[in-house]
Amino acid sequence: MAHYTDNQLAGLIREDCVHKKVYTDPEVFDLEMERIWNRSWIYVGHDSQVKKPGDYFATSIGRQPVVMTRHKDGKVYVLFNRCAHKGAQVVGDSCGNMPRLRCSYHGYVFDTDGTLLHIPREEGYSGAGFGKGKPESNMQQVPRVDSYHGLVFASLASDGPDLKTWLSGAAVSIDNLVERSPEGRIEIAGGCFRYLHDSNWKMFVENLNDAMHPMVVHQSSSGTAKRVFDERLKEDDPVPFELEMLAPFTNNYEFFEKMGLTAWDYGHSVTGGKFSIHSAYSPIPGYMDALIGKYGEQKAREILAVNRHNTVVYPSFTLKGAITSIRVVKPVAVDKTVIESWVFRQVGAPEELFQRSITYCNLINSHANLVGPDDYEAYHRLQYGLQTQDGNEWVSQHRHLGEDEVDEDGTRHATGTSDMVFRHQFRTWKDYMVGAA
Amino acid sequence: MGTDLKSVPDTVIKTDLIPEQDSTPMPTEQPANSPDLRELEQFLYHEARLLDEQRWEEWNALYLEDAEYWVPAAAEQEDPHNHVSLIYETGLLRAVRIKRYKHPNAFSLQPKPRSVHLVTNVILEGYDESAAECSVNSRFIMLQYRREKQDVFAGTYHHRLRIEEDGFRIAAKRVDLLNCDAPLENILIYF
Repeated sequence: MAHYTDNQLAGLIREDCVHKKVYTDPEVFDLEMERIWNRSWIYVGHDSQVKKPGDYFATSIGRQPVVMTRHKDGKVYVLFNRCAHKGAQVVGDSCGNMPRLRCSYHGYVFDTDGTLLHIPREEGYSGAGFGKGKPESNMQQVPRVDSYHGLVFASLASDGPDLKTWLSGAAVSIDNLVERSPEGRIEIAGGCFRYLHDSNWKMFVENLNDAMHPMVVHQSSSGTAKRVFDERLKEDDPVPFELEMLAPFTNNYEFFEKMGLTAWDYGHSVTGGKFSIHSAYSPIPGYMDALIGKYGEQKAREILAVNRHNTVVYPSFTLKGAITSIRVVKPVAVDKTVIESWVFRQVGAPEELFQRSITYCNLINSHANLVGPDDYEAYHRLQYGLQTQDGNEWVSQHRHLGEDEVDEDGTRHATGTSDMVFRHQFRTWKDYMVGAA
Repeated sequence: MGTDLKSVPDTVIKTDLIPEQDSTPMPTEQPANSPDLRELEQFLYHEARLLDEQRWEEWNALYLEDAEYWVPAAAEQEDPHNHVSLIYETGLLRAVRIKRYKHPNAFSLQPKPRSVHLVTNVILEGYDESAAECSVNSRFIMLQYRREKQDVFAGTYHHRLRIEEDGFRIAAKRVDLLNCDAPLENILIYF
């Protein structure tokens, strides 16, 4: 197996293309876990998942099990989910409430902030270097935890930019997600999909801002939906949510070009802004009034005028404001990725808004729907196609090269169908991988 | 080498493996005037066969137009409106899915998936003579094959059947997949 030097890693990234090994080489994947996923801010969960002291939510950062808890001091903690004794995963269920965390192997008990509270037959450790009061005998807290509007992030590196700085322009997407609640509050509700893919995690992340694919990949679902609804609906019938959701996937290239692309420091980016494939949905009765009641008319209109399509918060999740949902990236192996879909309820908004988001996720994000499997197929064919040894080792990202507009603060803008976002993600990737980030 | 049972603490030899009595009674006699169990079974087999033979329009014609076809995404999921579902469709969305099977650019269906549905353990759970409806509970295994990969799905069917003069129509079908909340790859064929 090759052992990459920093120079070799940097050589995998060119301005206009990347070497296929970034998607196919298990050693590159291992290095990504170490240098990107162990260093960057990674989305862990939302604090509404751990409302009361003792609530826990077990999840992962990269390949490592962690558990998010609410401690009796009211704070949210993220702990490595490993007993300090022999190393067993302590919390086995995905979520629930336990006043104490008890290891299922030898019964060592930890507080919800990780502090070791009890060891059976503790006298066996007298004079030994293990036991209560010794920090290394606790379940370890991850080096850094912070949250933004209740979205909890962890970084496994003790140094690095603070969360707000790191979120840069992507923070506006989270602001808007929360402002869309008439109470300024969101909570996770309605369960979760876990969609297993046989492809590299970056293919999903790139695809969320790839505006050249919907009209091709989703022609069979969006185009068919338009035809079937056209045949079967009478003129006076209300337009069902489902049609409003599926139809815009086959909007023309000009639409997606005009949606535009913006990218910020640390690899984040967004498609859309002034409008998107989500901006022509019918208004939900009572929703605008509720927003005006909270914010006043002008501010309410400004909130709904933010039409970001997909925000990529690199590398660990993507967000849709209008659909109030996020998709969380869980890399498993170089060619194995789980994508989790979660929905937020906008507290104080009509239930219909939440139910529309549920319908959207069923239609688009479920592994049994008409849209997700065609994306899956595209990623599968990428992963398999890149096994060819045809003399072309490189994956193109040439589209609209050299046409980015760059602001003074480094924010980049491009036409919606530009490969700008991919080039930007891989510049960030290189910064992480060879130490500049 | 013998084990001295007396030295083993009580908690270890406690026999807690015997399940508690289930409250659902074993069906003995059919309710008066209810459809014959054999007819119900034949109807379920017929539905499974239409799916395996990919006779999608004929399959959809077994359903009332507004019948809900529902595959929850969580065990014991209570409703399809406030929780995500793997599939939740009425006639309009079924028509889209069925038409898409023939679309030349439905890439996830190329090569075409194939299936075998097995239906078993059929129990008539309820019969409402005034509504001309009955509820049928059964178990299924579905094998899905596409491009060198075979997936095995199993679970429980809950059919609500409308009894019409010329046979049964499906008024609602709920499919409780055993591993509904597992990380799963594509599901391309109806259960």
